[in-house]
Amino acid sequence: MKRRLPRLRSENLANASALAAAAAVMLVPANLLPVLTTRQPGQNRTDTIFSGTVQLWRSGLGAIAIIVFTASILIPMLKLLGLAWLILVARRRRIRNARRLTQLYAALDFIGRWSMLDVFLVAFLSGLVQFGALSSVEPRPGIVAFAVAVVFTVLATQAFDPRVLWREPQPPATSP
Amino acid sequence: MSSSSTPLVCRLCGQEHRPVSLAPGDRAVCARCDTVLASRPRLGPDAPVAFALTGLLLAPPAMLLPFVSAAKLGHDRAALLFTGVEALWDQGMHLLAIWVCLCGGAVPAALLVTLAGLLLPPRLGRQPLRPRMLWQAAHAFGHWAMPEVQVLAVLVALMKLGKLVDVAIGPGFWCYVAMTLALLCAWHSFEVTFANTPPEETADVPASPS
Repeated sequence: MKRRLPRLRSENLANASALAAAAAVMLVPANLLPVLTTRQPGQNRTDTIFSGTVQLWRSGLGAIAIIVFTASILIPMLKLLGLAWLILVARRRRIRNARRLTQLYAALDFIGRWSMLDVFLVAFLSGLVQFGALSSVEPRPGIVAFAVAVVFTVLATQAFDPRVLWREPQPPATSP
Repeated sequence: MSSSSTPLVCRLCGQEHRPVSLAPGDRAVCARCDTVLASRPRLGPDAPVAFALTGLLLAPPAMLLPFVSAAKLGHDRAALLFTGVEALWDQGMHLLAIWVCLCGGAVPAALLVTLAGLLLPPRLGRQPLRPRMLWQAAHAFGHWAMPEVQVLAVLVALMKLGKLVDVAIGPGFWCYVAMTLALLCAWHSFEVTFANTPPEETADVPASPS
Protein backbone atom coordinates (compact mmCIF):
# COMPACT_ATOMS: atom_id res chain seq x y z
CA MET A 1 0.00 0.00 0.00
CA LYS A 2 1.30 3.44 -0.89
CA ARG A 3 1.51 5.68 2.11
CA ARG A 4 2.52 9.32 2.16
CA LEU A 5 5.75 9.74 4.04
CA PRO A 6 6.07 12.61 6.50
CA ARG A 7 7.81 15.61 5.06
CA LEU A 8 11.17 16.64 6.38
CA ARG A 9 10.86 18.12 9.86
CA SER A 10 12.56 21.37 8.85
CA GLU A 11 10.26 21.83 5.84
CA ASN A 12 7.18 21.00 7.90
CA LEU A 13 8.05 23.47 10.65
CA ALA A 14 9.18 26.21 8.24
CA ASN A 15 5.85 26.14 6.38
CA ALA A 16 3.83 26.11 9.59
CA SER A 17 5.95 28.94 11.06
CA ALA A 18 5.58 31.11 7.95
CA LEU A 19 1.80 30.64 7.82
CA ALA A 20 1.41 31.28 11.55
CA ALA A 21 3.51 34.45 11.24
CA ALA A 22 1.37 35.61 8.31
CA ALA A 23 -1.76 34.98 10.39
CA ALA A 24 -0.31 36.97 13.30
CA VAL A 25 0.48 39.90 10.97
CA MET A 26 -3.03 39.87 9.47
CA LEU A 27 -4.63 39.83 12.91
CA VAL A 28 -3.32 43.38 13.49
CA PRO A 29 -5.40 45.10 10.75
CA ALA A 30 -8.20 42.62 11.43
CA ASN A 31 -8.52 43.95 14.96
CA LEU A 32 -7.73 47.61 14.25
CA LEU A 33 -9.82 48.22 11.11
CA PRO A 34 -13.63 48.48 11.25
CA VAL A 35 -15.53 45.36 10.20
CA LEU A 36 -19.10 46.68 10.07
CA THR A 37 -21.05 49.92 9.66
CA THR A 38 -24.66 50.15 10.84
CA ARG A 39 -26.74 53.04 9.50
CA GLN A 40 -30.01 54.15 11.09
CA PRO A 41 -31.84 57.49 10.90
CA GLY A 42 -29.74 59.91 12.91
CA GLN A 43 -27.26 57.27 14.00
CA ASN A 44 -24.33 55.78 12.10
CA ARG A 45 -22.08 53.37 13.92
CA THR A 46 -18.83 51.76 12.75
CA ASP A 47 -17.42 48.87 14.78
CA THR A 48 -14.23 46.91 15.02
CA ILE A 49 -14.43 43.31 16.21
CA PHE A 50 -13.74 44.34 19.80
CA SER A 51 -16.04 47.39 19.88
CA GLY A 52 -18.83 45.28 18.34
CA THR A 53 -18.40 42.76 21.14
CA VAL A 54 -18.49 45.51 23.77
CA GLN A 55 -21.63 46.94 22.14
CA LEU A 56 -23.31 43.53 22.35
CA TRP A 57 -22.41 43.33 26.04
CA ARG A 58 -23.76 46.83 26.74
CA SER A 59 -26.98 45.98 24.87
CA GLY A 60 -27.68 43.26 27.41
CA LEU A 61 -26.68 40.42 25.08
CA GLY A 62 -23.99 39.09 27.41
CA ALA A 63 -24.11 35.47 26.23
CA ILE A 64 -23.87 36.50 22.57
CA ALA A 65 -21.01 38.87 23.40
CA ILE A 66 -19.12 36.02 25.07
CA ILE A 67 -19.68 33.75 22.03
CA VAL A 68 -18.45 36.41 19.60
CA PHE A 69 -15.49 37.35 21.83
CA THR A 70 -14.48 33.69 22.14
CA ALA A 71 -14.80 32.93 18.42
CA SER A 72 -13.33 36.15 17.04
CA ILE A 73 -10.70 37.21 19.55
CA LEU A 74 -9.89 34.41 21.98
CA ILE A 75 -9.72 31.45 19.58
CA PRO A 76 -7.41 33.09 16.98
CA MET A 77 -5.05 34.21 19.78
CA LEU A 78 -5.09 30.84 21.53
CA LYS A 79 -4.60 29.04 18.26
CA LEU A 80 -1.58 31.12 17.31
CA LEU A 81 -0.05 30.79 20.78
CA GLY A 82 -0.67 27.03 20.75
CA LEU A 83 0.85 26.65 17.30
CA ALA A 84 3.86 28.74 18.29
CA TRP A 85 4.34 26.52 21.34
CA LEU A 86 4.10 23.34 19.24
CA ILE A 87 6.56 24.68 16.65
CA LEU A 88 9.06 25.69 19.34
CA VAL A 89 8.79 22.35 21.12
CA ALA A 90 9.11 20.41 17.84
CA ARG A 91 12.48 22.08 17.21
CA ARG A 92 13.91 20.63 20.41
CA ARG A 93 16.17 17.62 20.27
CA ARG A 94 14.16 15.72 22.85
CA ILE A 95 10.39 16.11 23.18
CA ARG A 96 8.57 15.32 26.39
CA ASN A 97 4.79 14.96 26.80
CA ALA A 98 4.26 14.14 23.12
CA ARG A 99 0.83 12.71 23.98
CA ARG A 100 -0.36 15.98 25.57
CA LEU A 101 1.12 18.01 22.72
CA THR A 102 -0.70 15.82 20.19
CA GLN A 103 -3.94 16.38 22.07
CA LEU A 104 -3.24 20.12 22.05
CA TYR A 105 -2.80 19.94 18.27
CA ALA A 106 -6.10 18.05 17.90
CA ALA A 107 -7.85 20.73 19.99
CA LEU A 108 -6.33 23.56 17.91
CA ASP A 109 -7.38 21.79 14.72
CA PHE A 110 -10.96 21.51 16.04
CA ILE A 111 -11.47 25.06 17.31
CA GLY A 112 -9.96 26.91 14.36
CA ARG A 113 -13.04 26.85 12.13
CA TRP A 114 -15.16 28.67 14.73
CA SER A 115 -13.22 31.86 14.08
CA MET A 116 -15.16 32.15 10.83
CA LEU A 117 -18.20 33.11 12.91
CA ASP A 118 -17.64 36.86 12.53
CA VAL A 119 -17.13 36.56 8.76
CA PHE A 120 -20.43 34.70 8.31
CA LEU A 121 -22.11 37.13 10.72
CA VAL A 122 -21.03 40.23 8.78
CA ALA A 123 -21.97 38.63 5.44
CA PHE A 124 -25.41 37.64 6.72
CA LEU A 125 -26.18 41.04 8.31
CA SER A 126 -24.99 42.87 5.19
CA GLY A 127 -27.33 40.82 3.02
CA LEU A 128 -30.40 41.01 5.24
CA VAL A 129 -30.40 44.54 6.62
CA GLN A 130 -30.79 46.65 3.47
CA PHE A 131 -33.70 49.04 4.07
CA GLY A 132 -32.17 52.12 2.44
CA ALA A 133 -32.44 55.19 4.64
CA LEU A 134 -34.35 53.28 7.33
CA SER A 135 -31.59 50.87 8.24
CA SER A 136 -28.62 49.27 6.55
CA VAL A 137 -25.48 47.29 7.37
CA GLU A 138 -22.28 47.45 5.31
CA PRO A 139 -19.14 45.30 5.55
CA ARG A 140 -15.87 47.16 6.10
CA PRO A 141 -12.27 46.24 5.13
CA GLY A 142 -11.40 44.79 8.56
CA ILE A 143 -13.51 41.74 7.88
CA VAL A 144 -11.39 40.89 4.80
CA ALA A 145 -8.21 41.07 6.90
CA PHE A 146 -9.86 38.92 9.56
CA ALA A 147 -10.94 36.27 7.03
CA VAL A 148 -7.40 36.15 5.62
CA ALA A 149 -6.02 35.73 9.15
CA VAL A 150 -8.44 32.84 9.81
CA VAL A 151 -7.46 31.14 6.55
CA PHE A 152 -3.76 31.46 7.44
CA THR A 153 -4.33 29.96 10.91
CA VAL A 154 -6.20 26.99 9.41
CA LEU A 155 -3.46 26.50 6.79
CA ALA A 156 -0.76 26.78 9.47
CA THR A 157 -2.47 24.05 11.50
CA GLN A 158 -2.67 21.83 8.43
CA ALA A 159 0.97 22.52 7.55
CA PHE A 160 2.13 21.36 10.98
CA ASP A 161 2.49 17.58 10.88
CA PRO A 162 2.01 16.32 14.48
CA ARG A 163 4.02 13.21 13.66
CA VAL A 164 7.16 15.33 14.15
CA LEU A 165 6.35 15.19 17.87
CA TRP A 166 6.91 11.40 17.73
CA ARG A 167 10.28 10.96 16.18
CA GLU A 168 11.45 7.65 17.53
CA PRO A 169 9.87 4.69 15.68
CA GLN A 170 7.56 2.62 17.89
CA PRO A 171 6.80 -1.11 17.51
CA PRO A 172 3.29 -1.99 16.22
CA ALA A 173 0.72 -2.03 19.00
CA THR A 174 -2.76 -3.49 19.33
CA SER A 175 -5.48 -0.95 19.95
CA PRO A 176 -7.49 -1.59 23.13
CA MET B 1 -12.33 -3.62 11.38
CA SER B 2 -12.09 -3.92 7.64
CA SER B 3 -12.11 -6.79 5.24
CA SER B 4 -8.46 -6.24 4.40
CA SER B 5 -5.44 -6.66 6.64
CA THR B 6 -4.41 -3.02 6.14
CA PRO B 7 -3.05 -1.68 9.43
CA LEU B 8 -4.82 1.22 11.12
CA VAL B 9 -2.57 4.26 11.08
CA CYS B 10 -3.13 7.06 13.56
CA ARG B 11 -3.50 10.28 11.58
CA LEU B 12 -1.92 12.34 14.37
CA CYS B 13 1.07 10.35 15.61
CA GLY B 14 1.55 7.85 12.75
CA GLN B 15 1.46 4.78 15.00
CA GLU B 16 0.40 1.62 13.17
CA HIS B 17 -2.08 -0.79 14.78
CA ARG B 18 -3.27 -4.24 13.85
CA PRO B 19 -6.92 -4.30 12.62
CA VAL B 20 -9.43 -5.28 15.32
CA SER B 21 -13.07 -6.39 15.32
CA LEU B 22 -15.44 -3.99 17.04
CA ALA B 23 -18.90 -4.53 18.54
CA PRO B 24 -21.60 -1.91 17.85
CA GLY B 25 -20.80 1.20 19.88
CA ASP B 26 -17.18 0.16 20.47
CA ARG B 27 -14.30 2.31 19.39
CA ALA B 28 -10.60 1.78 18.93
CA VAL B 29 -8.19 4.42 20.16
CA CYS B 30 -4.54 4.94 19.39
CA ALA B 31 -2.37 3.19 21.97
CA ARG B 32 0.10 6.06 21.82
CA CYS B 33 -1.88 9.35 21.68
CA ASP B 34 -5.51 8.35 22.48
CA THR B 35 -6.88 9.56 19.11
CA VAL B 36 -9.99 7.64 17.99
CA LEU B 37 -8.90 5.35 15.16
CA ALA B 38 -12.19 3.64 14.36
CA SER B 39 -15.59 2.94 15.81
CA ARG B 40 -18.55 0.81 14.89
CA PRO B 41 -21.75 2.91 14.65
CA ARG B 42 -24.67 1.92 16.88
CA LEU B 43 -27.12 2.80 14.10
CA GLY B 44 -25.92 0.11 11.72
CA PRO B 45 -23.94 0.08 8.49
CA ASP B 46 -26.55 1.97 6.45
CA ALA B 47 -26.58 5.01 8.76
CA PRO B 48 -23.66 6.92 7.16
CA VAL B 49 -25.19 6.56 3.68
CA ALA B 50 -28.60 7.56 5.02
CA PHE B 51 -27.14 10.71 6.60
CA ALA B 52 -25.26 11.66 3.42
CA LEU B 53 -28.33 11.16 1.19
CA THR B 54 -30.55 13.06 3.66
CA GLY B 55 -28.11 15.96 3.59
CA LEU B 56 -28.08 15.91 -0.21
CA LEU B 57 -31.89 15.99 -0.35
CA LEU B 58 -31.98 18.95 2.05
CA ALA B 59 -29.26 20.98 0.28
CA PRO B 60 -31.41 22.37 -2.62
CA PRO B 61 -34.26 23.69 -0.41
CA ALA B 62 -31.68 25.07 2.04
CA MET B 63 -30.12 27.08 -0.78
CA LEU B 64 -33.29 28.11 -2.62
CA LEU B 65 -35.95 28.74 0.04
CA PRO B 66 -36.09 31.96 2.10
CA PHE B 67 -33.60 31.81 4.93
CA VAL B 68 -34.71 34.71 7.08
CA SER B 69 -37.13 37.58 6.43
CA ALA B 70 -36.85 41.01 8.02
CA ALA B 71 -39.31 43.88 8.25
CA LYS B 72 -38.96 47.52 9.28
CA LEU B 73 -41.74 50.13 9.15
CA GLY B 74 -43.70 48.23 6.48
CA HIS B 75 -40.70 47.32 4.34
CA ASP B 76 -40.12 43.56 4.00
CA ARG B 77 -36.98 41.81 2.86
CA ALA B 78 -36.32 38.08 2.49
CA ALA B 79 -32.77 36.73 2.48
CA LEU B 80 -31.57 33.48 0.96
CA LEU B 81 -28.47 31.56 1.98
CA PHE B 82 -26.34 33.43 -0.56
CA THR B 83 -27.83 36.92 -0.10
CA GLY B 84 -24.91 37.82 2.15
CA VAL B 85 -22.52 36.64 -0.56
CA GLU B 86 -24.21 39.00 -3.04
CA ALA B 87 -23.89 41.89 -0.57
CA LEU B 88 -20.16 41.26 -0.14
CA TRP B 89 -19.75 41.02 -3.92
CA ASP B 90 -21.62 44.30 -4.44
CA GLN B 91 -19.31 45.99 -1.93
CA GLY B 92 -16.31 44.95 -4.05
CA MET B 93 -15.17 42.23 -1.62
CA HIS B 94 -15.12 39.60 -4.34
CA LEU B 95 -12.64 37.16 -2.83
CA LEU B 96 -14.38 37.27 0.53
CA ALA B 97 -17.75 36.69 -1.18
CA ILE B 98 -16.35 33.64 -2.97
CA TRP B 99 -14.82 32.39 0.26
CA VAL B 100 -18.09 32.69 2.23
CA CYS B 101 -19.96 31.03 -0.65
CA LEU B 102 -17.48 28.13 -0.63
CA CYS B 103 -17.32 27.52 3.13
CA GLY B 104 -21.04 28.00 3.79
CA GLY B 105 -22.65 26.39 0.75
CA ALA B 106 -20.55 24.97 -2.07
CA VAL B 107 -18.02 22.93 -0.09
CA PRO B 108 -20.61 21.36 2.29
CA ALA B 109 -22.64 20.31 -0.78
CA ALA B 110 -19.51 18.95 -2.47
CA LEU B 111 -18.63 17.05 0.70
CA LEU B 112 -22.09 15.45 0.79
CA VAL B 113 -21.77 14.40 -2.87
CA THR B 114 -18.31 12.95 -2.19
CA LEU B 115 -19.48 11.04 0.89
CA ALA B 116 -22.47 9.64 -1.02
CA GLY B 117 -20.14 8.62 -3.86
CA LEU B 118 -17.88 6.78 -1.42
CA LEU B 119 -20.47 5.22 0.88
CA LEU B 120 -23.42 4.37 -1.39
CA PRO B 121 -21.84 2.01 -3.98
CA PRO B 122 -20.60 -0.52 -1.36
CA ARG B 123 -24.12 -0.72 0.10
CA LEU B 124 -25.36 -1.58 -3.41
CA GLY B 125 -22.64 -4.21 -3.86
CA ARG B 126 -20.58 -2.09 -6.22
CA GLN B 127 -17.12 -0.61 -6.19
CA PRO B 128 -16.94 3.21 -5.85
CA LEU B 129 -15.32 5.04 -8.73
CA ARG B 130 -11.81 6.17 -7.76
CA PRO B 131 -12.23 5.66 -3.99
CA ARG B 132 -8.79 6.98 -3.12
CA MET B 133 -9.41 10.24 -4.99
CA LEU B 134 -12.83 10.58 -3.34
CA TRP B 135 -11.28 9.90 0.08
CA GLN B 136 -8.69 12.63 -0.46
CA ALA B 137 -11.36 15.03 -1.74
CA ALA B 138 -13.56 14.32 1.28
CA HIS B 139 -10.72 15.10 3.68
CA ALA B 140 -9.86 18.30 1.78
CA PHE B 141 -13.52 19.40 1.80
CA GLY B 142 -13.87 18.42 5.47
CA HIS B 143 -11.42 21.16 6.50
CA TRP B 144 -13.32 23.94 4.75
CA ALA B 145 -16.98 22.91 5.05
CA MET B 146 -18.28 25.09 7.89
CA PRO B 147 -22.10 24.97 7.84
CA GLU B 148 -22.28 24.63 11.63
CA VAL B 149 -20.39 27.93 12.00
CA GLN B 150 -22.82 29.53 9.54
CA VAL B 151 -25.77 28.27 11.63
CA LEU B 152 -24.27 29.78 14.79
CA ALA B 153 -23.59 33.06 12.94
CA VAL B 154 -27.23 33.29 11.82
CA LEU B 155 -28.46 32.64 15.37
CA VAL B 156 -26.14 35.34 16.72
CA ALA B 157 -27.34 37.71 13.98
CA LEU B 158 -30.99 37.06 14.85
CA MET B 159 -30.32 37.92 18.48
CA LYS B 160 -28.40 41.03 17.46
CA LEU B 161 -31.12 42.17 15.05
CA GLY B 162 -33.87 41.89 17.63
CA LYS B 163 -33.78 45.60 18.41
CA LEU B 164 -33.04 46.80 14.87
CA VAL B 165 -35.66 45.06 12.69
CA ASP B 166 -38.41 42.44 13.02
CA VAL B 167 -37.05 39.08 11.89
CA ALA B 168 -38.71 35.74 11.09
CA ILE B 169 -36.96 32.47 10.33
CA GLY B 170 -37.86 30.93 6.96
CA PRO B 171 -38.01 27.29 5.81
CA GLY B 172 -34.62 27.56 4.12
CA PHE B 173 -32.91 28.04 7.47
CA TRP B 174 -34.54 24.95 9.00
CA CYS B 175 -33.54 22.91 5.94
CA TYR B 176 -29.99 24.25 6.30
CA VAL B 177 -29.88 23.29 9.99
CA ALA B 178 -31.12 19.78 9.17
CA MET B 179 -28.62 19.51 6.29
CA THR B 180 -25.83 20.58 8.67
CA LEU B 181 -26.79 17.92 11.24
CA ALA B 182 -26.96 15.25 8.51
CA LEU B 183 -23.56 16.34 7.18
CA LEU B 184 -21.96 16.25 10.64
CA CYS B 185 -23.35 12.75 11.31
CA ALA B 186 -22.27 11.50 7.87
CA TRP B 187 -18.79 13.04 8.26
CA HIS B 188 -18.31 11.54 11.72
CA SER B 189 -19.40 8.11 10.46
CA PHE B 190 -17.10 8.44 7.45
CA GLU B 191 -14.06 9.35 9.54
CA VAL B 192 -14.39 6.34 11.82
CA THR B 193 -15.54 3.93 9.10
CA PHE B 194 -12.52 4.55 6.92
CA ALA B 195 -10.25 4.41 9.93
CA ASN B 196 -8.03 7.30 8.83
CA THR B 197 -6.65 5.21 6.00
CA PRO B 198 -7.38 5.89 2.32
CA PRO B 199 -8.98 2.96 0.49
CA GLU B 200 -6.99 1.37 -2.30
CA GLU B 201 -8.26 1.76 -5.86
CA THR B 202 -8.32 -2.00 -6.25
CA ALA B 203 -9.15 -3.10 -2.73
CA ASP B 204 -12.58 -3.48 -1.16
CA VAL B 205 -13.81 -0.35 0.55
CA PRO B 206 -14.87 -1.13 4.12
CA ALA B 207 -18.56 -0.34 4.01
CA SER B 208 -18.96 -1.39 7.62
CA PRO B 209 -16.79 -2.89 10.30
CA SER B 210 -16.87 -6.65 10.36
